[in-house]
Amino acid sequence: MKKLATDILVIGGGSTGAGVAWDAALRGFRVVLVEKRDLTHGTTGRYHGLLHSGGRYAVKDPQSAIECIEENRILRRTHTHCIEDTSGFFVVTPEDEGDFPDRFQAGCATVGIPCEEVPLKEALRREPLLNPRISRVFEVPDGSADSFLATHVTVQAARQAGAQICVYHEVVGLLTEGSDGARRVTGARVRDVVTGEELVVEAMLTINASGAWAGQIAALADIPVRVIPGKGVMVAVNHRLVNTVINRCKMPADGDILVPVHTVAVIGTTDERVADPEMLNIEPWEVALMLAEGDKLVPGLSQSRILRAWAGVRPLYQENYTGDSRDATRALALLDHQQRDGVAGFLTITGGKWTTFRLMAEKTMDKACAQLGVDRPCRTAETPVPGVEQGYYWVGHRLHEVETERLQGDLVCECELVTRSMLEQAAANNPTVTLDDLRRDVRLGMGPCQGGFCTFRAAGILQELRMRTEETAPSNRAARPEEPAWSVAHMQSPRHAMHQQPATLAAGRSPLDNPNLLLRDFLQERWRGVTPVLWGRQLKQERLDELIYLGIMNIDHLPPDDDASPLTEFWQFDTTPGAGSEETT
Amino acid sequence: MAPISWHSVDLSLDECIKCNICTSHCPVSAVTDLFPGPKYVGPQAQRFREGDQAITPDHSVDYCSGCRVCNEVCPTGVKIAEMNARARADMVAKQGLPLRNRLLGRNELLGKAGSFAPALANFAMHNPFSRFMAEKVMGIARAAPLPTWSTSGTFGDWVKRTRGQRLRSAKKVVYYHGCATMYYEPFIGKAAVAVFEHNGYEVIVPEQNCCGLPLLSNGEFGAARNYHQGNVGKLTGFARAGLPIVGTSTSCTLTLKEEAPELLDMHDEAATTLKMATYDIFEWLYELHEAGEFRTDFRSMPMKLPYHAPCQQRAHRVGKPALALMALIPDLELPESHARCCGIAGTYGYKVEKYQIAMDVGAELFDFVEAQGSDVAYTACDSETCRWQLEHGVDLPSRHPIEILAAAYGLYDLARRDLTTG
Amino acid sequence: MLDLLIIGAGLAGLTAALRAVEAGLRVKIIAKGMGSLYWATGAIDVLGYLGGEERAVASPWERLAELDAGHPYRTLGDTRVRGAIDWFQQHIEPSGLGYRSADAHNLLTPSPAGAWRPTYLAPAGQRAGAATDDRPMVIVGFQGVRDFFPHLITRNLSAQGQVVRAALLPWSVLSEQRDRNNAQLAECVDDVHTQQRLVDALKLVVKPGERIGLPAILGRHAHAQALAHLQQGLKTDVFEIPTLPPSAPGIRLATALRQALEQRGVRVEIGMEAIGFHAEDGVIQWVETETSARPLKHRAHAFLLATGGVLGGGFNSTPAGRFWEVIFDLPLTVPQDRRQWFRPLFLDARGQPAFHGGVAVNAALQPVDATGDAIYANLWAAGSLLAHADPILERSLEGVAIASGVAAAEAVKTKSTAAVATMER
Repeated sequence: MKKLATDILVIGGGSTGAGVAWDAALRGFRVVLVEKRDLTHGTTGRYHGLLHSGGRYAVKDPQSAIECIEENRILRRTHTHCIEDTSGFFVVTPEDEGDFPDRFQAGCATVGIPCEEVPLKEALRREPLLNPRISRVFEVPDGSADSFLATHVTVQAARQAGAQICVYHEVVGLLTEGSDGARRVTGARVRDVVTGEELVVEAMLTINASGAWAGQIAALADIPVRVIPGKGVMVAVNHRLVNTVINRCKMPADGDILVPVHTVAVIGTTDERVADPEMLNIEPWEVALMLAEGDKLVPGLSQSRILRAWAGVRPLYQENYTGDSRDATRALALLDHQQRDGVAGFLTITGGKWTTFRLMAEKTMDKACAQLGVDRPCRTAETPVPGVEQGYYWVGHRLHEVETERLQGDLVCECELVTRSMLEQAAANNPTVTLDDLRRDVRLGMGPCQGGFCTFRAAGILQELRMRTEETAPSNRAARPEEPAWSVAHMQSPRHAMHQQPATLAAGRSPLDNPNLLLRDFLQERWRGVTPVLWGRQLKQERLDELIYLGIMNIDHLPPDDDASPLTEFWQFDTTPGAGSEETT
Repeated sequence: MAPISWHSVDLSLDECIKCNICTSHCPVSAVTDLFPGPKYVGPQAQRFREGDQAITPDHSVDYCSGCRVCNEVCPTGVKIAEMNARARADMVAKQGLPLRNRLLGRNELLGKAGSFAPALANFAMHNPFSRFMAEKVMGIARAAPLPTWSTSGTFGDWVKRTRGQRLRSAKKVVYYHGCATMYYEPFIGKAAVAVFEHNGYEVIVPEQNCCGLPLLSNGEFGAARNYHQGNVGKLTGFARAGLPIVGTSTSCTLTLKEEAPELLDMHDEAATTLKMATYDIFEWLYELHEAGEFRTDFRSMPMKLPYHAPCQQRAHRVGKPALALMALIPDLELPESHARCCGIAGTYGYKVEKYQIAMDVGAELFDFVEAQGSDVAYTACDSETCRWQLEHGVDLPSRHPIEILAAAYGLYDLARRDLTTG
Repeated sequence: MLDLLIIGAGLAGLTAALRAVEAGLRVKIIAKGMGSLYWATGAIDVLGYLGGEERAVASPWERLAELDAGHPYRTLGDTRVRGAIDWFQQHIEPSGLGYRSADAHNLLTPSPAGAWRPTYLAPAGQRAGAATDDRPMVIVGFQGVRDFFPHLITRNLSAQGQVVRAALLPWSVLSEQRDRNNAQLAECVDDVHTQQRLVDALKLVVKPGERIGLPAILGRHAHAQALAHLQQGLKTDVFEIPTLPPSAPGIRLATALRQALEQRGVRVEIGMEAIGFHAEDGVIQWVETETSARPLKHRAHAFLLATGGVLGGGFNSTPAGRFWEVIFDLPLTVPQDRRQWFRPLFLDARGQPAFHGGVAVNAALQPVDATGDAIYANLWAAGSLLAHADPILERSLEGVAIASGVAAAEAVKTKSTAAVATMER
């Protein structure tokens, strides 16, 4: 069995794990990060995209609010291109009575969140679709964030600082030594879910950054960690109804945030305790609730075209907590298992929110340094990740680049303006197992047709790329790297992709071998996300997609094979309403 | 950015299913890569535009000619052409507008100015030197088919002059002549008046403005709003009194009915009243025909007359009533053009960078006319700019169908373009 | 006044109009936009798969009886269905598109994903791709063409035993313009110079004995000429593989049908969305379409609804689970509960329940209510809006459209003849 030795093993490739790997590598540790799927496949890739100003917590949880505004300022410097500077409104609708607005203003002032009341007329000029019956509007420095890109570039930064990144590597066991009371975690047994090969990673310190899965990981070392998976449902509207983040000015509740992120607006979210972070059914009432609440912010929202619904699970941790998940703390939870459980060499970091991922990593590594008996200061707050020179992301940037470079003829995903070279570069530059990975990289299939046209194109292009790589590689082994270069900082730029050398897939068994599997998997993945919102116009779109894939492509009668990707089963899991839910008798 | 509301065309982007039927029919993207096609610049690009964007992300939308073929063929109801017009207006608001486009947008002003001394104006505008200079200095294509001012007085002059000869009747229509009839082609108005009166209708010619379409298609929404408000003020009273407002310029009537209210998001009661009372002349005559009140005492007209229903007429979505009514004229053979567009699209083909595109687009129509053989004396088309383009493209005189009707009634001389009575 | 107003310009509407005008009816088509042929393969599928079977149906005529009792084919009966398909084949013949079956059996041609897809009538341009042909293939694409990937096709056909290889030609063979979709590329190939460039480039690629598969871009208006030019120039068979919309073979078929109608004096008015109607005593008087101002009335003795189902825009639905027919608000057999519309798997062999329902009709193709009575005395329905079928799943899209379109036109004719006879009595 292959063995790796490292200082720090990070389990989990979400924002927290990526942040920890980055922080640790910058402090000079040897780092290995393992993630069982693609980066951000878990909660990070399933959130609404809000870069908090802290306003949301200004009344309820001032400590969280302070963390948010401080991190907000830092991330704008370190991850600029992953952020859109949308600004945010807190609006008082006719249903939001009482003194909350005044407490909100006072709260913001106390914790240092810039907050200004905006005259109604001006607010409606800026956001004409906003409910005209709102009575007050406050502006705070909210933003929207691309958590896919942010995590990828954080990992790129970590890798540049020496970290080793193993995606599609699942932890199957924790290595422990010693007996009860003096146990120590010494690393993990990890399985490459593509090849099935196992690998042992020996580490001085293992950091469990697996979020909602933290309990499952800790259990591998018989450590009880109770994380409440709090399911949040989000619904994406076909286009940006607003260009500013809109929050309800009231105590946080369901469906009170509308976030313009890239080309869509996301309304979120619910909060339901679930048994398993992977069993994410979306019930009709949850969608209905999001739409009804959305109407209060933007009247008519429920009548506009809905693209997709999805759910993420918050990792809510509270020692011995049994109540409603909304009331569990959103603060980060750093568990020192040596102190708590008498197990050395193992830390768990969970809870928190995307906006504070860097802070979570900093605190975790401070604790790690203390445990390892070294004094190495955190450098992440002053170290921009690759690509920040691009400045804030803005919604028109792809349109602008495609226009100025005249790339219209090269589009693969027409809805989200993904060019062929963007797709090829993304596939070659970071590990790619499914088309869904490319979706997170370049937004493939995230627009109105939900992969109707681009799934086929992507499968065809990757097949060509693979053939091309095989034809050129035998004579030129040196040109074909063993591992992808992890150059992702500009992967959303059509112009940048255009100027790169032609892509070459990395050597080794390519998970992209079977284009039919790519097709089937991605169509099923998209189907899963659209079924909760299929009616009206999106249903018409779906029927066109059926005409394409059944009528024209006949992909349900491709030559039979038994191939499955590491995610085939996950996407085929029955998430239709009512299925798989907990029995209540 | 023009204000967005739930009524506005912008939100019809939600209807798009990305099928590309519009692009497959777009006459402009068929001939040039400079225009990426209606789906691209319309519902697709729209998702990447936002109100306060510092940079306008795309300029190719300016190559949309506004012909509305995309709307016509779209199976799901996206208002693509209007979406593009609004995006262009947003661009204009941010970047300003070249003098040329300001000039081309001000049809009424130009018309008025030239009419003080039409012969001089025609010379000044049409001699090779000034066309050369206009191209160099302003970007108005030197070969483009610009109109000529009427040298026999404006339509308004004629109305004043012949006031005493007009029919008085209990049945009345309000005639919207538009700028082209007023200053360049008063004979169209005379033919229309003759046809109205022949059918027993008294014609009211009220004070009116330019419909604002040239401004709308050049992205000057503010000025267009003033024009439309002017027309609402001047014409809505007639509409409230139950009178139809009937026009011979099919693009003007379309603007009063739909383009102005939709693009400018003007859906108040007065604008809507005007909209609902406005008719393209053949739409109105066809209703008369369906009610059994349309006179068909036509003379035989033994000739072959290729007919092109222009984009602007088709955009009314009322079928091709001119074709149906001209078909009642004995011995008139009417080959029907299925060409998508003549290319000119209002003022589009006047612009030096778009002149060749317009001619390439028009080739389909020119070929159709030429395929009809050498015994063709005229073509027919409802839109003035399209007729000018047609005459430019095939070297045959082109007539408004109302001229054909008036001639078939024996009231009008097609060659002289004047009433037979004088 | 019109005898028949047809709403919808898809294959059902166009076919019905052609059959109706042949029967002597005065007929007109109105449609919101260009019809669904623009999305389809241009081949005529009659019945490709049955009951989730993995293997394609060998001959539709041997299997129609196995369909659900309410299926439009069962409603019409084998003879009428087959008669309608034969009628269509005869009437499309003058177009020169050359529609043929394989001895009354389905033939298998390559899909752009490299699956063998069953169809009944294939146009001349697609037939040389048949699986029964034992010649090797070369599938030729063009660098940068958005919707055609020879290596993907080749991989899957090879896996099924076809001797086939892939080749790519430069884009410049097709066009100087870079941003062209399939329909626009087909227009490029209308030009004989482009055809000759294609011949010259393909000569360097093709090996003796190979037939050549190309994306379906061989001409939009001059297809027959383009195909002949290529086959003569290359001295081998060339076939098209229809791919993503817009589909040139579908556009050619739509254009051929519209021209046939125009020659017979039938107007096809596009850009007219039906938004309402007026009925008196169960008889529809007129249908209204949306215009730039006032609704426009279209009067006729009979009306044929051929607006398609969900995709054509004939149906709409809401999050609350309402699923309805948009012009006449006809009752649909779709479950009025959103939880019953879909199955967990996109590729479930049973299809999605939401797409199986539609307008229930009687034997004369008149929409009926729950008791089986015609809802309007002068309303008929045809095409993919009919209940008890999922034409996309069954690969019966064109067959259902043609069979029901022809049958509906004949039913209208029968009724109008009967009405005249009654009046004469």
